[in-house]
Amino acid sequence: MFGLLARSIESLYQVTRGLKTVFQHSFRQPITKEYPDRMPDLPGAFRGRLSLTVNPNTGEHLCISCLQCERVCPDKCIQITSHKSPETNKPELIEFKIDHGLCMFCGLCTEVCPTTCIINTNDFEMADYTRESLVYDLKKLTLTQEESAFYFSKKELPLPKPKPAKPAAAAAPAAAKAEKPGQPAVKPADTAKEDKPKEGEGKE
Amino acid sequence: MTVSTSTSNKTQSYGVQSTGPANIVEIFKFMRLTIIWLSIIFGAVWGACWLFGVVLPACVEGFGLPAEISQTIRYFVPLVAIMVFIPINAMFMVLFERRALALFTVRKGPNRVGPDGLLQTAADAVKLLLKEDITPRGADAFMFTLAPIIFFAPSIFGCIPLLAAATGDHRLFSIANLPTGIFYVLAASSIPVVALVMAGWASNNKYSLVGGLRAAAQAISYEIPLVLSLVTICLLAGSLDVVEIAQQQVGGFLHWNILGAGKLLAVSQASPITFVTAPLLAICCILLFWLYMTGACAEINRIPFDLPEAESELVSGYNTEYSGIKFAIFFLAEFTNLFVVSAIATVMFLGGGESPIPGFLDTGFFVSVMGTLNSLLQPVPALQWLLNSLVDPATLSCVFWAVTKIYLIVFFAILIRGTLPRFRIDQLMDFSWKRLIPLVLILFLAVAYLRELV
Repeated sequence: MFGLLARSIESLYQVTRGLKTVFQHSFRQPITKEYPDRMPDLPGAFRGRLSLTVNPNTGEHLCISCLQCERVCPDKCIQITSHKSPETNKPELIEFKIDHGLCMFCGLCTEVCPTTCIINTNDFEMADYTRESLVYDLKKLTLTQEESAFYFSKKELPLPKPKPAKPAAAAAPAAAKAEKPGQPAVKPADTAKEDKPKEGEGKE
Repeated sequence: MTVSTSTSNKTQSYGVQSTGPANIVEIFKFMRLTIIWLSIIFGAVWGACWLFGVVLPACVEGFGLPAEISQTIRYFVPLVAIMVFIPINAMFMVLFERRALALFTVRKGPNRVGPDGLLQTAADAVKLLLKEDITPRGADAFMFTLAPIIFFAPSIFGCIPLLAAATGDHRLFSIANLPTGIFYVLAASSIPVVALVMAGWASNNKYSLVGGLRAAAQAISYEIPLVLSLVTICLLAGSLDVVEIAQQQVGGFLHWNILGAGKLLAVSQASPITFVTAPLLAICCILLFWLYMTGACAEINRIPFDLPEAESELVSGYNTEYSGIKFAIFFLAEFTNLFVVSAIATVMFLGGGESPIPGFLDTGFFVSVMGTLNSLLQPVPALQWLLNSLVDPATLSCVFWAVTKIYLIVFFAILIRGTLPRFRIDQLMDFSWKRLIPLVLILFLAVAYLRELV
């Protein structure tokens, strides 16, 4: 009898404490994100729609048609058409297609890209009415100079070095093959790899 | 960026959320919504009552028709008041509940339809009315249609005596009063469970059936503590008449039944035995109030007693198969029932429409406001007549306090809904039969003796 009384008083106290806690919640700022009205502030490492960047300073397309992204893609959603330029003897980009209906946004292509050309943007609103319109072509994929600059600064990527002048490349095609695409390319890829996980930790 | 800075950033960003500025904006919006909706509801009800109680009889008499006709029109006033009140009130209460729950769960709640979500439930109601009304194959169509009607009807005619108590026995509402008012209200409020069983059985769905049977078991178990606690209050008051019970509690919150019907005041002048018995009586009455609220929560199937419609176990319980207007009627009745049990609690325990301010502090606010308005409208006799026929300060004060108390109880019910988890069915039965019923019987005996000893 006495134990029952003590237990009921204890449980009443606990219920009251619960009510108090819940009531105090009404004095906290709501955590609701009013999405269509206010866009969420996404971290730079967010893996959204794939895009191709251009050099923010000069406006050159950064893709060198190395086909690494096409090779690493687990969904085989990237399709690159290129040909060997008769003047420079280097691959030249003709068409770049990404089927976003197949893409699973794993980000492997952005990790292997030697020139940080292909990136995940923060855009995620890409719903469409047909499957065909989810296949993005080169024109749709390529970002403008300002957008590229925005993503380079947002993802804290090092800016790409400008490509060397054409006559030099034409003069020594064999040496250029080893040096010029390689030299500026490897560095940003390495740094990007180092940067990305840290960013993810810091901003999420 | 090093690891340490990133972690410090993290804690900082969470810290801003938890210790940020108090949520004044949302609370203000909630209050504004409540005040706007309540003024819409009671403006509409007041206007309808004025039309049927004053204007139409005056017109009828003006045409030279017999006085019996105008008197008959006046008899319709309580009915009209309830018919206008129930749909608008249910719409408001759904919105009120959703916004309050949003506050408790650190959200914003519905804020899209109309200014600040004010019209959300109106839009919901329109949607429900336009939806297709489906009767499932194999269902008993007649019973299936009858169930929502039987569920809804008692909430209309059941709360009529409470109108007289909430308006301080206004002459237009005093015909709604019965000498056995609370008995009638309790009898009416136990009808809906039949409808729940009907709905469950007629739906031809195992979830509905289990929901309906659970509703029956629960209602039978919890009606006993509910009714016994009210019976104890009737014993204390010596009456079954709700108006009389409300009027016994005049003179501030110390005279309310929840504090022993003014017997607590006897402590100051009486013998040493009163010194013990009066506080004991008050404690008994507070416990009775708590018992009543528990029983009422179970009776109207609200969380934590919402086993008949436990969505994690029984899709939606007895109303699984209902859609369109029948579902709307179930929904309407559920919220009206919440209002009715809060109104019963207000009348029986919290003094009905009586002001909680003790008599010696009462300044007669409403009377003085009316006097000022009257003197302002002195030059325009037509407006003055309109004001005096429209507003009666005593009734206004009664309705104001009754509504405030009722909605505070509703708010408390929502707070409980936001806090407590659902019972298990065996715990539910144990709680009623092994705990509440013995307790309420003990309290019944205690009050019976204590009221003589104080």
